[in-house]
Order: sequence, then C-alpha cells, then structure tokens
Amino acid sequence: MFLFIHLPALTRTILIVAITILTLLGIMTRPFKLNEAMCALGGAGLLLILGLINPASAATTLLGDGNTFFFFLGLMSISALAEVAGFFDWLAMQAARLAGNSSRRLFLNIFLLGSLISMFLSNDATALILTPIVYTLVTRLRLPVLPFLFACTFIADTASFLLPVSNPINIIVISRFPMDLFTFARLLTVPCLVVIAINVGVFSLLYRGQLRGRFDIKRLPNLDTVIKSQGYFRYTCTILALVAVAYVVASALMIPLSLVALSGALLLLIGALCWKQVTILAMGKQISWSIFGFIAGMFVVVRALEDTGLTTQFGQLLLHLSGNTRLGSVLVGTLGAAAGTNLINNVPMAVVLNSALGGVQHVSPSVHLGFVAATIFGCDLGPNLTTVGSLATVLWLLILRRRNIDVSGLDYFKVGVIVTPLMLLAGALTIWLLLP
Amino acid sequence: MRLLCCLDGSNIERISNAVTSFFPSERLTTTLLYVTDSGPHGDIGLQRERFLRPHKPGPMRREQMREADESSAQDILEEGLRYFPGADTLRREGRPEREIVNFAAEWNADLIVICPRSPQSGGPVLGPKSVGHVARFVLDHAPCAVLLVRTHVRRNATQA
Repeated sequence: MFLFIHLPALTRTILIVAITILTLLGIMTRPFKLNEAMCALGGAGLLLILGLINPASAATTLLGDGNTFFFFLGLMSISALAEVAGFFDWLAMQAARLAGNSSRRLFLNIFLLGSLISMFLSNDATALILTPIVYTLVTRLRLPVLPFLFACTFIADTASFLLPVSNPINIIVISRFPMDLFTFARLLTVPCLVVIAINVGVFSLLYRGQLRGRFDIKRLPNLDTVIKSQGYFRYTCTILALVAVAYVVASALMIPLSLVALSGALLLLIGALCWKQVTILAMGKQISWSIFGFIAGMFVVVRALEDTGLTTQFGQLLLHLSGNTRLGSVLVGTLGAAAGTNLINNVPMAVVLNSALGGVQHVSPSVHLGFVAATIFGCDLGPNLTTVGSLATVLWLLILRRRNIDVSGLDYFKVGVIVTPLMLLAGALTIWLLLP
Repeated sequence: MRLLCCLDGSNIERISNAVTSFFPSERLTTTLLYVTDSGPHGDIGLQRERFLRPHKPGPMRREQMREADESSAQDILEEGLRYFPGADTLRREGRPEREIVNFAAEWNADLIVICPRSPQSGGPVLGPKSVGHVARFVLDHAPCAVLLVRTHVRRNATQA
C-alpha cells in the first residue's frame, strides 16, 4: 500500500520496528491460539501489504535461503522414515541391552545415543523421537522416568553442534557465513565435546541416588514388535550410514547439505514405498509444514529490519560491547544468543544475529569468526536454560504453580539453571582458546 | 477398616510389613492404588511445542506409551496382589498426589498407607526433604488418617 506513497525513512523504520516487535511478541505469547508460523507469516504479510518491503526483495531473500528450507524438509523426512523402520526403537533397545542391567550404564548409554542421533539426524530427532521411546523403555523397565527424560531433552541441544547437520540453526548461520569442516570441528565440535562431558557429569551427580538400581531386561518386548519389516529396516540402516558419511564429505567440500538430506530422504521414501511401509499421504502428515511458514515469515521480517540499517547498528553495538577482542566477541556472542533464544525462540534469534553479524565490519577475521561460532553455540545450547520453550513458557508455568497446579516443566527449568550457565561459560572459553 | 495402599512400584514389601505389624488381626478392606504420573506426558508435549510441533506425539508413539504405562501398572498391581490376596486393585492416571487424595475421599478410606518417597527418587531417608512431594501433599490434604511407612533406619546414639 505504502509502496506507492513516499514515506519518510523514519516513519518506515518506526513501522517496521513496530511490526517486528509485534511479530516477536506474537511468537512468544501465541495469542488467540495462533501458532508461531501464523505470527511470523502475519508479520511478513503485513510488511508486504503495507509496502514496507519490496516483494522482489522478499522473494530474493527466500530463494537465497533455499538451502535452509530444503535441509529442513530432508531432515524431517529422514527422521520420519527412519522412525517408520523402527530404527530409533532398535537403537534404544540396544542401549538397554548393552547396559548390563545397570541403571547408571543405561543412563550413560542414553546420553551417548542422544549425542549420536543429534550428531547425524539433528536435535529434532533426539528431542521429538528419542524422548517418547526412552519414556516407553524406562517405564517398562520400572526405572525413574525423569532423569532419563532430562537426559534426552538436554543432550538434544548439548550435542547439536557436533556437526553442521546437528542443528538446523547451524545451517541457517553457515549458509550466510560459510565455514569449512576443519574450522567447524575446531571451533564447535571440540567445545561440544567439552559441554557434553559437563552435561553427563553434572547429571550423573544430580541423579546418582536414582540411578543406583538395576533393571530386568526381560521386561522389554521382543524386537520383532518394533521392526515390522526386516528388509526395510536393513535398507534404512544402510541408507542412514551412507547419509552420515555423505554429510561429513559434503561439509568438508562445502557442498549444500540440503542436497544430501533430500537425496537421503528420497532414497528412504522409495524404500518405504517398495516395502509398503508408508504412503505419500501418511508421509506428508509426518512433516511439520508450519515450520516452513515460520522460517519464511521470519526471514522476510528480518530482511525488512535489515533494510532499515538497524541490524547493522545492532552488529556494531555487539562489536562495541566485545571491545573488538576475541574473548569479547565470543562472550558477547554467546551470552547475547543464549539470552535471545530464551526470550523468543532460537530460529528468529539466529536469523536476527545472522543479519547483525552481516553488519559487523572492519574487524579482524578472528573476531568475526568468534562472533559466528558464538552465535551457533549460543543459539544451539541456549535453549537448555528454559528447555520448556522460552521465558514466556516459564512464566506461564510459574503462574500455574502459584495457582497450586503442579507442573513438572519447572523441574526442567531448575535443572537448566544449574547446568546451562556452566556449559555456556566452559564452551565459550573453549571456543576462545581455539580461535585462530 | 477401609485401607488404601498407595503403590509406587518399589514399596509393596514395606507397606505389607507395616500393615501386618500394625493390624495383625483386624478385618481389612484393602484397595491397592497405582497412579500413572501424567506429568512426563505433559513435559514431552511442551518439548514438542518448543520444536514447533503439535503438543501430542503421533498416534503410534502415543499408543506405545499407553501400552508401556498400562503394562507397568498391571505388573505393579499384580505384584501387590501377591502380598494382599483378595484386595481390590485400581489404576488411575494423573498427578499421583491428587489422585490419591481424591480417591481416598470418593472411597471413604479410613487410612491411607503411603511411603515418604521412593528409594529410587534419591532423596534422604531421614531429615529435611525426606518426605517427597507426593507424600507431602497427601499428608496435607488427606481426608482421613495417613500411615507414613518409613524405611527402618538404625541410628547410633551420637547421631540421634
């Protein structure tokens, strides 16, 4: 609408900022049962209708971020098709069998399993697929449920920067600031191993009393109940192994990871259709399509904000706060990203920081790299502080508690507050030590 | 006397010993209650929302979780029947502390038998926080007498 009316730059900026704030508030509070995608798309739509962003500019932004969209699609499809094969159930049962009837060893095995799943199939797979499987497993084994659920929830994010594919956030950032595999491994994989060790250590200490017992493996059902087709299961294992190798090779050669994810998903889909394990319609229902709307909306909103020059100024502010030093860049980047992910959600926070980092100029490559690594690190690990979502969710849980309604979500928050700051600090210092 | 025994999967022996020693010759009408905690299901839902997914897992996973809950509860109640032959058994789902109190009121229980906390929960056996949140709520809200069955702990004179 305003596309045809000349608006003073200040008015445009005020309108864009107001719409951005409204969009973020909508994502945080989800009013009128609106989901995050509706809020993000609503904000983007409003900007387009009011002519505050050029449609061509919005389209260019979305097309330019195609790698992110296709990666999300491939990733969700691979996880869903592997789930159909019973792959995750099989892994969880192996973890139980290898624990030798010891609760403590099972606990460690779940951490290891969660790390491996996050590493190759992303944190989504660990949090969304492994968690209910582990719940079923420990319930059948009559073990205390909460420590194991905490383990799944936390390790999903803690292990989500072992590889670029371990978290879609990594793809969002790396698409804009390409990073070769060696640099990623040095600046993020090594700190990830450090924070995994801290996570396992602190949790083992916190739950030592609950993990003393032993369990009877005979309580678990036969493996045949989870693997419906041996042929498709073996095929899935083979394809997943190939996809894992391809991810590492593609990361090393800096080939778009969406190509690997989509190819893997296509091969699995062909197998699932051949073995009659899934239909196209059922597969479509397994994909969370609203995520694409959410990301697309956020990309457009942040692009409009970027055009005002505000994100550049935000980037300059971050640089100023860091004192233009390597340690400063890592600490400011980590704390800013972690705080932001808990205030809104890690996807919008990563998009905003991405844009802000684009405005960080006239700095040494080392300081810039520190900011990029810290953004990935903070956005990936930060959500562990308020694992139930964002601060808005925590506040909602606190209100429920005040009304004498018990909610164990707050227990997650209590644990997150203990372990996450420790991991953030240790990880940030490790990144700083490893910066060139 | 209407006795409501609250099982948690690890306390049946202690409850049985306590009932036998306190009411050796009394005529008892006993119900064994096991409550499947719905809290973890809610937590999984919140976690899914954080990843922008619907609150509930897919139907296959929900069914798997329901089956696990049911088989575990059945197992625990059957174990209870070996100690209390002829007792009624009941499985409920929800927040354990609330379900116990509500059922005690509905059933007109004369006595609730409960352990302060499961040994698996890792809390202290004696002293502050030795009574877990479920038992604490039952003690505070029960509509009848409550028998809190502690683990027998021998303490030497200096500790006492």
